[in-house]
Amino acid sequence: MSDNGTRGLEERGTLIAAEYVLGVLDAVQRRAAERRIGRDPAFAREVAFWEERLGGLADAVPPVEPPLDGWARIEAALARADRATEAKPGFWHNLPLWRGLALASSTLAAACIATLIYVGMVPSTAPLLARLDAESGQAGFVAAVSPGGGSLTIVPASLLSAEQKAMELWLIPPGEKPHSLGLIDPDKPVTISVPKSLLPKVNSEAILAVSLEPPGGSPTGQPTGPVIANGKLAAL
Amino acid sequence: MSLTFTGASGMDADARRKQLSAALYRVARGDRPALRLVYDMTSAKLFGICLRILNDRSEAEDVLQDVYLTVWRKAASFDEARASPITWLVAIARNRAIDRLRSGGVLRLSEPIEAADAVTDPAPTAAETLEVAQEHKRLKSCLDELEGRTSASIRAAFMDGLTYEELAERSGVPLGTMKSWIRRGLAKLRACLER
Repeated sequence: MSDNGTRGLEERGTLIAAEYVLGVLDAVQRRAAERRIGRDPAFAREVAFWEERLGGLADAVPPVEPPLDGWARIEAALARADRATEAKPGFWHNLPLWRGLALASSTLAAACIATLIYVGMVPSTAPLLARLDAESGQAGFVAAVSPGGGSLTIVPASLLSAEQKAMELWLIPPGEKPHSLGLIDPDKPVTISVPKSLLPKVNSEAILAVSLEPPGGSPTGQPTGPVIANGKLAAL
Repeated sequence: MSLTFTGASGMDADARRKQLSAALYRVARGDRPALRLVYDMTSAKLFGICLRILNDRSEAEDVLQDVYLTVWRKAASFDEARASPITWLVAIARNRAIDRLRSGGVLRLSEPIEAADAVTDPAPTAAETLEVAQEHKRLKSCLDELEGRTSASIRAAFMDGLTYEELAERSGVPLGTMKSWIRRGLAKLRACLER
């Protein structure tokens, strides 16, 4: 047979889809194929075609009794995942630790800012600051805008766990939809450049908010997950 | 004993397929007993697949756990109209096992492809659904139209999760030759399956 057969398939991505399902690709090629499944519906259909058709080969693999504790291990892993999920709202709303810290929270935020100024991450002339509180009133983040308004540093003021979620920072000018300022880190301070178009909107009228989003950030350009903290910008 | 999807269970195979689909839809809504049901119906089949690819019991046990956690998280993406439930589950199991294999650290015994091929044609299982049986028959007849070495390589790749390099080494042919065999074989297979 001529090479035309394979070339035709190659053009449509059919060959890669078949190779992916067959399992002959290396790790890097596999990741590339998986990304393509996410963005190329025709390619995803090819993968589905081959999975359905070649799947019949799996019938020839004899079943093997799984380990006796197989289900118990899965249940234990699910329980661990549950606890991790519950810990998130718990941290904000219920933990006795937080009740104890309640009075200290504004001090905590102030201390954060003082530290930032001290270590030089935020200039002492920062004109605008915001404390982003969770629903419970606890400080979640502290944000400081640079004097020119061109960048913004956001610092987690408490321990946060987002598991596999990303945290995205939003600027919400009065009466407007949120504008994304990018992803932030629950573990360390992040400095974000403010896009030029948003510079005029970074003022004491605006609100900053943090939402939980899928890895990589909101797919829609608007917050899709819960807002875990928000606060108004204010002049120092 | 846990049941395999195609195993003789006393239940009509089509009913099993429906039951499995329904269970996956319940899993998608966070129903844990439904996940247990999926596990009971399919774990022996999926464990066999993982073990075949990884050739290491402890690795296969880890991957099996990972497979059902993935099912728990991804059940919402299962769509009966697009894939049969067992195809969907087999794809997850194979992908997880192959990813584990590619991440390195799993030692593999090198065996000639003929040996792998020898177990690809067991006696047909008693309660295979007519539909699955027919699809399998079609696949088998299309594979049989290929050259023997090509169909053996395609089967070995699928069952054992081998890369082109490993397939070439096992068959004692240059990498380019193996790629060419398989790619042409896949092109022919595609044309045959679409007929």
